[in-house]
Order: sequence, then C-alpha cells, then structure tokens
Amino acid sequence: MNPLELTLGIMTAVGGFVDISELVFAAKAGSTFGYALIWVFAFSTVGIIVFSEMSGRVAAVAKQPVFNLVRHRLGLQLGLLTLVASIISNLITCAAEIGGLSLILNYLTGAPYFLMAPVATLVIVISIWILPFKWIERVYGLLGLFMITFAVALIAIHPPWSEVAGGFVPHIPHGLNTKELLTFGYFCVAIVSAVMFPYEVYFYSSGGIEEEWGPKDLLTNRITSIVGMGLGSLLAISILASSAQFFGPAYVDPEIPGSTALQAAIPFGKWGLILALLGMFFAVAGAAVETCMANAYSIAQFFGWRWGRHKKPWEAPRFTIAWIALFVVALSIVLTGVDVMILVELAILFSILVLPLSYLPLLLLAGDRQYMREHANGSIAKGLGWFYFGVITAAALAAIPLYLLTAGGSG
Amino acid sequence: MWRVTLVLAPLAACSSGPYDDVQYIKQARSLGAEWALVNEQASQNKLTSTYVDSMHKWIRQQLGGSSTSLTQPSSRYGEEIQALFHESDNAPPERLRAHVKKLKEIEDQLESA
Amino acid sequence: MTPDGRIKLVSELLDLPLVDSEGRYCGIVDDIEFIGTKELKLKALMVGPGAYEGRIPRPLFWLVRKLAGDRITRVPIDRVRSIGSVVKLDCAGKVVGLERSEDAAGKWIPRGGAL
Repeated sequence: MNPLELTLGIMTAVGGFVDISELVFAAKAGSTFGYALIWVFAFSTVGIIVFSEMSGRVAAVAKQPVFNLVRHRLGLQLGLLTLVASIISNLITCAAEIGGLSLILNYLTGAPYFLMAPVATLVIVISIWILPFKWIERVYGLLGLFMITFAVALIAIHPPWSEVAGGFVPHIPHGLNTKELLTFGYFCVAIVSAVMFPYEVYFYSSGGIEEEWGPKDLLTNRITSIVGMGLGSLLAISILASSAQFFGPAYVDPEIPGSTALQAAIPFGKWGLILALLGMFFAVAGAAVETCMANAYSIAQFFGWRWGRHKKPWEAPRFTIAWIALFVVALSIVLTGVDVMILVELAILFSILVLPLSYLPLLLLAGDRQYMREHANGSIAKGLGWFYFGVITAAALAAIPLYLLTAGGSG
Repeated sequence: MWRVTLVLAPLAACSSGPYDDVQYIKQARSLGAEWALVNEQASQNKLTSTYVDSMHKWIRQQLGGSSTSLTQPSSRYGEEIQALFHESDNAPPERLRAHVKKLKEIEDQLESA
Repeated sequence: MTPDGRIKLVSELLDLPLVDSEGRYCGIVDDIEFIGTKELKLKALMVGPGAYEGRIPRPLFWLVRKLAGDRITRVPIDRVRSIGSVVKLDCAGKVVGLERSEDAAGKWIPRGGAL
C-alpha cells in the first residue's frame, strides 16, 4: 500500500463527496429541523461506504464494473430498464450540477447564467479530453477540498456542540404534527438518495478498473471508502449544522443555492465567502464530471463497447461520443431555463427509484464465491448490504407519495 | 428563468386557495429572510458586491415567480409578497424582516387551521 | 471454463462481455445460436441489436431497430478461448467482424490533445 496514493485517494474522496443535491438538502435540513437530521446523513454515509467498498472490491477481484453486472445478473429486459432509468436519473443530476456551476460562477464573477452554462460545460469537456483518468479524479477531488471552509466556519461560530452531537443519535423530534412528520420523512428519503446516488458507485467501480486495481488494492479500497467518505460526510453535516444555527432562527429555508455560502461569510467575511464559493464550484464541477462519465460508463459497459479514460479518446470512440453527447443533452436541459432547485428535486426522486435495481446486482455479485473467491462478502458486508438494500427499497416505495404529500418537502 | 410547476398526479385537496398558496407563502417568506441576511452582511462589508448583486437578482426573480403562482394574488398575503417584491435592492434588513414576520404569521395561521 | 464443457447458458454465458485477444471489449453475448436436431450444440455467439429480437417485447425491439439497426454478428464458438467473468476470444475482434461500429464512430473523433 502506497501511503501517498492512499492519502491522495482519501482526500479525493473527501473533496468529491458533496454535490449540489447535498448542498441544497443539507442546508434545508438544518433550517427546517435543526440538528435532528444529522443522524440520517451519518446513516446514509455508512450505506454508501458499504456499497462503494463492495463495488471497488468487485472491480479489483472480478475485474467487472457495475453495469456489466447489471446486464449479466438482471438480463436484457430488466437490465435495459435499469440502464434507461439510470441514464435519466444521472442526466437530470448532471443538468442540476451544470446549472449549479453556472449559478456559482454568476455569484463569483457576475457573468450571465446562460453564458456560464455552456462555458463551464466546454471547460469540463476539454479537461476530460486532455487529462487521463487519474488526473481528472484528482484535480476535481482535491480542489473540492476548499469545502473544508464550511467545517472551519462551523467551528468558528461555536455551535452548541452537545446538540450537534445529539443529532447523531437516531431520533424523530418530539411534537411534530402529521404534516411535519411527513416532511421529516421526505427529508430522510431525500438525504438517503442524495448521499447514495448510484452515479458515485458506477464512477468508483469503473475508476477501479481504469486504475487496474487488483487484490493487492483491497485494503486501499476499504480505507478510502471508509475514511474518505466518512470525512466527506462531515462537510455536508457542517453545512447542516451551520444552517441550523443561522438559517433556522432567521426563517430562512434556502431557496437559492448561493445562500449556503453565507455560512462562511458570516464568521470570515469576504474571504470566507470566496473560499466557500470556490469549494462549492469544484465540488459541483467534480460531480458534473462523475455523473456524466458514470452515464457513459454505464452505456458502454451495457453494450460491450470499448470504454475508459485510460485510453485516448479516439481509442474508445463510441464511449467518447457518449460522454460528449450526454454533456450536450444536460446543457440543453439547463438552457431551457428550468430552475436548478427543481432539477435537484427531480434528480433526488429519480435516483431513489433507481437505487434498488442498481445495487442489487452488485450485492449479488459481491457475495458470489465463483467470481469473488475468498474475497466474497463476509457476514458484516452481507448483513449491512442486505440491510441497506431493504432501506433503499423502502425509501424508493415511499419517495413519490412523500413528495406529493409534502409538495417536495415544502410542507 | 421560469419555474417549472411539477404535477405528477392530482392531489385530493381538502380545500383550495390559501392552502394551495402555503408553499408559495413559505417560499416568499424564506426569500425575504435570505434577502435580509444578505443585506445585513453586506452592510458589515462581509460580502463581495458581485455576490450581493447576483443574490438580489435571483431573489427578486424567485419572488416574482412565487407571486405569480398564487391562486389568490389579491389576498392579504398576496399584497404582502408584492410589497416585499417592490422593496429596493438595498432595503434595510429590518424592513425586509418586517415583511418576513407578517408572512410567517399568515403561514402559521394557515397551517394550524 | 472452456467452451466444450458443460455450461449454464443463461447464468454463465448470456449477457457476458466479449474481450478479444488484445484485451479489448468488443461486444456482449446478446444471444446464442445452436446447431443440431436431436442433440443441440452451441454454434455461435450472436452480437448486435438484431439479436435482441425475441428477448424484448416487440414494440421495444421496433424502437431498438429504429435507433441502432438490426445487424447481428456471429462469433463462431471455436473462436472462444475461455468463459469466465468475460468471454475471451482467441483473435482480435476485427477478425470475427466485431469492430465495425467502433471503427465507424472513430472517424468522427479527432486525434490529438490528450495527455
């Protein structure tokens, strides 16, 4: 195990954890329910750690990325359904990320939103074209570490730490009426969806194959998943806690993503604001890359095309055309003028509906001794895997009713 | 930018009008509060002018969307949202919060009814 | 596993990726062709959207045909070296006609600029 590689991997995972959906929902969760939803973030983080570790292990041992498994395990019909649903989900998410990027660039530079959308997309496309996979992952992941500004801002405002700690204990706040209880339920489902977005697992497992992981990398995979994502989730929780401290008492339920940056401006002034916006920019840009590439990986793997950024773009032409075309489609969605917050809500909704179909083949293969030999799921991974599969299935069933009953969490 | 109204299925509504408008009252209330927070921090020189101008523009655009989505724009809350919308960009935070307080009272009344 | 042994067609062969002798992905086992009357033997692996017919509902196959065509490439079973988590061929994909779409797409991609 190379300590430098491991450190870089962890830092990349930390910087790459937060995306526009987590930014939005962490802030809204804090302003609406105080610290009461912290445990849901922590709970969901354990879930994504379980499945990320599994997907990395499958990539290292069976040398199979997730969507090869989806096709092989679910068959053509159900596999096609999963593919189409996942493409739609990731496309909407990618559009939300590009919209978020354009907003952030507008806050930073004042340049028009509808100009920044194609500019940001072009810059990202060029970066993916030029850089090999490892550099793509590292550049966006490491620059996303500007998000640490939010954690530092939380410490600077001296929140009631006992209440923050209490938020980690699973509970439902007392005295909620029926409507508030349903809204709490919706936020739980939304947070599970935002943290456990399937694109993260598709990207992570394909990345493992891109980097030619083998059984010797299993420990790196495990540590990166646990430590990287664990620390990354603390950034999202920092946003929630600051929101509970500032926004809740001020009657703010952030309707505009830019309001989140105020959390760093209040204690640190202009420099805090700029660093927070930069952190948001790189985190969201990284997520835009991951969502689009995850879609391209899925399509290429499902149909057996050559794929990967470890190859030059012309060495995997259909894969290259796929990711460029997907960026163009996502950009087109943004240019229709649809509200970024609406895109975020739709991304959350579609994602949770796709999650059970996406994670089931992974769970089955990770436990299959024929492919995984002595590295198949042990009792802990198996137990946690099936437990979280139950959770995401229940969340998928509850998502649409809760969305309708709570008007998308607005009560 | 226009707000897409997402209608996935018809909801059986217990009543119409003010209850349909609760989500827009909440939006307007929050936007007013965000506006007040931005102006308060700007007055303490904690924000860049680019960010402040940008936030003013987006807040006003969203407020306009909330206002036009109301089923009863001539109601008490409709007029309050209009009054908020017509405040100047750099209105004092206290004045903005006065609108927020009124909207919050109406919101709480409707939700408890 | 070698292709002359016993194999579970659905769980161990169908929908597996194909990898050629140069280690490149060159398709998916979309269907299987048999030969014989009394005793069926594997003849070829079928690759391409045309092989979806019979595996998906007809309206969906109509859509697939409109979007991607209905070509089928038949990979003779004697070109299969082994079957495991992928199907490995003993030749380059081109030899059995598997790289036509990739080559056609390649004409649209400029060469240059990538590190």
